[in-house]
Amino acid sequence: MSVQIIINGLALGAVYALIATGFSIIFNVLKFSNFSHGALMTLSAFIGYFVSVGTGLSLFPVILISMLAGGLIDLAGEFVAFRKLTIRNTSSIYYFVSSITLGTLFEGIVTIWVGPNFYNYPRFFKSMVVKFGSLIVSTSDLIMFITSFAILMILMFFIQKTRLGRALRAVSYDRDTASLMGINVYATIQMAFFISGCLAGLAGVFLGINYTLYPQLGNLVVKGFIASVIGGLGSIFGAVVGAILLGLMETLLINFIGSGYAPVFSFLIMLVFLLVRPRGIAGSNVQEKA
Amino acid sequence: MLLDVKGISKSFGGVKAIQNFSLTAEKGDIIGIIGPNGAGKTSAFNVISGVYTADEGTILLDGKNITKMEQYQITREGISRTFQNIRLFKGLTVLQNVMCAFDPLSKYSILGGLLPTPKRISEERKGRKMCEHYLEVVGLLPYKDERPENMAYGLQRRLEIARAIACEPKVLLLDEPAAGLNPTEVKDLTELIERLSKDFGFAILLIEHRLELVMGVSQKIYVLNFGKTIAVGTPDEVRENPEVIKAYLGEEEKKC
Repeated sequence: MSVQIIINGLALGAVYALIATGFSIIFNVLKFSNFSHGALMTLSAFIGYFVSVGTGLSLFPVILISMLAGGLIDLAGEFVAFRKLTIRNTSSIYYFVSSITLGTLFEGIVTIWVGPNFYNYPRFFKSMVVKFGSLIVSTSDLIMFITSFAILMILMFFIQKTRLGRALRAVSYDRDTASLMGINVYATIQMAFFISGCLAGLAGVFLGINYTLYPQLGNLVVKGFIASVIGGLGSIFGAVVGAILLGLMETLLINFIGSGYAPVFSFLIMLVFLLVRPRGIAGSNVQEKA
Repeated sequence: MLLDVKGISKSFGGVKAIQNFSLTAEKGDIIGIIGPNGAGKTSAFNVISGVYTADEGTILLDGKNITKMEQYQITREGISRTFQNIRLFKGLTVLQNVMCAFDPLSKYSILGGLLPTPKRISEERKGRKMCEHYLEVVGLLPYKDERPENMAYGLQRRLEIARAIACEPKVLLLDEPAAGLNPTEVKDLTELIERLSKDFGFAILLIEHRLELVMGVSQKIYVLNFGKTIAVGTPDEVRENPEVIKAYLGEEEKKC
């Protein structure tokens, strides 16, 4: 029983990690929390849903389409809502306002499109559970966990080891100097939004499978936010660690004290972290831009 | 003509930071730019490297007009620079700092970024090797896995220079490279600048307050004051120029 709870928690944590990472990438590059991220998750999850219902595709093509849709929509969002702010080098408060507006727009589009109803993804798996000896694991948990981890590993590798990842980090540390070193800053920011959008699409589909699809699904983005606060805002590694911890804690709490009180404790944990260790686990200081 | 700056001007509100500034440089030249504080030296650099766009005038690099290009394009065309106040990427290692600057020159696509294609692996290896070479040139190879913020000030200055040469420039702009260095370090830096000019053959523009350094290495010196060019010539000519002496020492009071 307890092993199953842990696997459950890991799967949930992995999805939170996708949200938190998508959040962190944008936070790193432009130093603001992108509040349109949640609504983008919902929007791309719905695109995935209608594609799967309409064409009967299996899970992985649907994931791919959702990720691509998320990435492209986020690119458009960046162009509409943030590009001018970046060019004018404005303060981050305008980014906040702009991202909230963009999020409301996305959510509005979804509500007009699907109405306030609840939707269920078709059943993608033949059997609901996989058995490892005496261990019974839900198939969706397993797939969520494995896929999320694979994607996060690829992302880590991309950021740490490739030239575009280095450009991303250079732009995060000092945008102006990066530009003077021959890095195309706007293209790098677009890339960050595309990656973040892809992660939102993936997280959206998984949340839709795990719970149900409805226009306010994106509110779960708060979990990603808590995770990145616990892990340390701006640190991608920290966000992943924080998300896994949060997923495990939530699942354990739901088992021991019931789902009514579990969210209360999630927020309490975040508050404790802000009081005791505001830098989060990874402890990277976010520096003010010069 | 490698670099041909023709009559550039830039004002901020009522302040004319730089007026009608012209400069020419050939391959292998070392050109000094001196002047009192606020004379417009760094503004000239900022206009040439694209931080600001000139209000008037044109900048030709190898015959190509780069006046209105984006910063990163100007850098790719072949102008790279260091900064008066050191601006390294904190959080990246010394080698990664240099590789960042070299990366725009290596060729692989976004797809290549995700998949370990043979081309990417070879490009990545080539880039690393080049960057290690640049670090060796400035004498920082032993520090390649250090964090720049942990290094001594003089070494950080050298790292900025290594990062600037990794852009494979035709013209290298050095903005007060000797600021905050002790006399021994200044001597090493002088040798480094001369060696760079000889080995790489790019033109070097040098802003510097340490006159012994500028006078020692430059073939030609531009003197600015209040945004205007007040003298151009060889170090000896400039040293004797009454305008320059006036700008640096102030005018002698007229005797009654």
